[in-house]
Amino acid sequence: MSEFDRRTFLKTTAGLGVVGLGGIAGCTGGPSGDGDEDTTTESTTEDTGGGDEDTTTESDGGDEGDVTNVGMVYATGGLGDGSFNDQAQQGLLAAADDFNVEYQETQPDEAAQFGNFQQQLAGSTDPDYDLVSCIGFLQQDSLSQTAPQYPDQDFQIVDQTVDEPNVASYTFREHEGSFLAGVLATELSSMDFSAAESSTASDSTNLGFVGGIESALIKKFEAGFKAGVKYTNENFDVSTSYTGSFNDPTAGQEAALSMYSSGADIVYHASGNTGTGVFQAAQEKGRFAIGVDRDQSVTKESYADVILASMVKRVDTAVYNAIEAKVNGEYPGGSQETLGLPEEGVALVYGQQLGSEVPDDVQSTVADARQGIIDGDIEVPTDPSNV
Amino acid sequence: MSASDRARSAFERIVTASGVERLLISVSALVLSILIGGVIVLAAGRMADCGTAAYRLALPGSFVTQFTGGSAVVAMGFCYDPIAVYDLLFLGAFGDVLGDPTNGQFATTLAETTVLAFAGVAVAVAFRAGVFNIGAQGQLVVGALTTAVTLLFVAPLFGGLGVLGTVVVLPLGLLLGALGGGLYGALPGALKAYADANEVITTIMLNFVATSVALWLVNDSSRFKDPDSFSNQTVPLPEFSQFPSVFFRARDDFSVVALAVGVLTLVGVWYLLTRTSFGYDLRTSGIQPDAAEYGGVDADRTVVASMALSGALAGIGGAVYVLMMLGNFQTGVPTYGFDGITVSILAGNNPLGVGFAALLFGVLKSGSIVVQVGSDVPPELVGVLRGLIILFVAMPEFFRMAGRRFDSLLPEREEPQGAVATDGGVSDE
Repeated sequence: MSEFDRRTFLKTTAGLGVVGLGGIAGCTGGPSGDGDEDTTTESTTEDTGGGDEDTTTESDGGDEGDVTNVGMVYATGGLGDGSFNDQAQQGLLAAADDFNVEYQETQPDEAAQFGNFQQQLAGSTDPDYDLVSCIGFLQQDSLSQTAPQYPDQDFQIVDQTVDEPNVASYTFREHEGSFLAGVLATELSSMDFSAAESSTASDSTNLGFVGGIESALIKKFEAGFKAGVKYTNENFDVSTSYTGSFNDPTAGQEAALSMYSSGADIVYHASGNTGTGVFQAAQEKGRFAIGVDRDQSVTKESYADVILASMVKRVDTAVYNAIEAKVNGEYPGGSQETLGLPEEGVALVYGQQLGSEVPDDVQSTVADARQGIIDGDIEVPTDPSNV
Repeated sequence: MSASDRARSAFERIVTASGVERLLISVSALVLSILIGGVIVLAAGRMADCGTAAYRLALPGSFVTQFTGGSAVVAMGFCYDPIAVYDLLFLGAFGDVLGDPTNGQFATTLAETTVLAFAGVAVAVAFRAGVFNIGAQGQLVVGALTTAVTLLFVAPLFGGLGVLGTVVVLPLGLLLGALGGGLYGALPGALKAYADANEVITTIMLNFVATSVALWLVNDSSRFKDPDSFSNQTVPLPEFSQFPSVFFRARDDFSVVALAVGVLTLVGVWYLLTRTSFGYDLRTSGIQPDAAEYGGVDADRTVVASMALSGALAGIGGAVYVLMMLGNFQTGVPTYGFDGITVSILAGNNPLGVGFAALLFGVLKSGSIVVQVGSDVPPELVGVLRGLIILFVAMPEFFRMAGRRFDSLLPEREEPQGAVATDGGVSDE
């Protein structure tokens, strides 16, 4: 190949490159404030130097004065998990809709990085974050170290408590919502209930619980569920299996299949994406399942025909409340809020497809149990060994 | 000597000279990966939605138009600024290193580098012996666990001794890590040597065993779990048993002492491999096992010894991870062992090269944090950029080929290459 050929070739490819980018421009987003055909040249310095300055996402209006800057540090697993982190993001987005909030989202891949992310956000001066929101209980240790180093920075931690004057902690009473899941499951399992392609058998006295990684947090779900079952009918028992992962649908499917095969009608899971396998098993065996964290009959729509209900954990409420308090200038630093049934921090929501099939008397039994917990008549344990 | 001659000899040197060659190849690999990555960042920036452009591309650029007046013919805005991304990725990892050499981000970079250096040199030792140790991750986990759990009981005995306690307990912790990892590495070594088990399969499987056993040991407070924590982790070790944070701030979880231990280890392993008879046996077993055995090397023993050494080095890496970064053992150990494989291959399995490869990985790992915090670029895209850099740096042959090709495009020299060939010097290949 001669030198001349090569030059032509380079020119052609360069041309193609530009056309390629233009092509992408034709069919997609890009910056809305800056059109493709914009032929004026402006802001010469911005291109070369500190392009990293303008990085936050704008939401409402442009009043620079009272913008509230929020930095998010998500739990490992990141966005797109269909449950925990996405739920937190919902709260952030809702707050961004309602208030003049700008935000930066970060997604650490491993627990050892949490401290670094927290310090980066807390130490940032451009923008100066008003609130750093730490999602997930694994951030407790690093935040206990970070928070005292930045006494003027407000922090939020979700799912765990950090006892520092500048940290507001939000935890959930997952056992209360799980209790209702246990009541619902036992009631339906005691009768001949059928909906869509699935059914329960009245003679079975067995239910299932599939957990992700065995930890104190997930055991709260297990304890609540078991307590709800025992509360409704002493003769029922719950098979429990921990798959060791929050992201292993195959293991979830195997665990649930063996439960359904040995007579369980309904399996409740608290295992993140592993639960997808539980739903698959329920479809395969013509049985039911109960989802967790979000309304999974919506987020996992293809399994809406087996999802009786979901025990939702309103992580979004916790994030939204913290941002709202910050915007209103009344940040509850140092406080520890536990969100249970009365605060609507946890709730049992019926599946969008099967919910209407659940008999009214069962629904009212569940509602009674909910009221009992709110009134303090029912005490729900947090440790399965106390059930 | 004409200009083209000089250029020609320069390119010849790229192809042949090893030191300069390495450097040039690395630089061109970096430049190429940054160019391609930049285009990807721009393309992704067109697909994202944002309010204002972070980066504008104009033809002719503002540099020209500011003198000639008028305006750009074509201009396009992008949501992500590739220059800023690479600025944050590389320079961000160092923080303000000139103004404040002990800044937190630089500390994170060096901490990652230190652990990766141990993992990398562990893999390198096994690879040099012709054993594919894919189990560095498991050996690292076992080392970390052994250190954290044993020190829980041993450290309190030295509680009142102050600095002396550190002097006793810290090396003990590293030794325990080496012991745990070494035994766990010797296991697949023995299986290979005496039961003819494929070490790739056994080491991969032993990774799962290590992770699961570790999880079981720390997920219940009747065993080693910290009863006060939601996380699956052990009770924190006393401060004096951990690496002291000399110069750097304690909260940055980095210690110069650990880095020094790491550098000494790399040099030590290099010396062991190149200057001792054990190293000679090990290397010949890797290059030509039959010849080594014919030459009197006990092949079985060499396999077990090299795997034990490899595991011990990974185990020390785990101990450093516990004693420097975490202060306890926690499940979900980052994939240092697997990154170690890439680090080692990148360094050509050379213990000294491992140091530089580990630094590159440390910079990329720490820099991605800065990119995430300082820009809107999604972490997946940063992962792509990291991958591209490693991909290009790991294919030196491509750049050698490109160098030769470019060389042959230059006008022919009058003299044929006889002179070079006859004096027994370098050949074109």
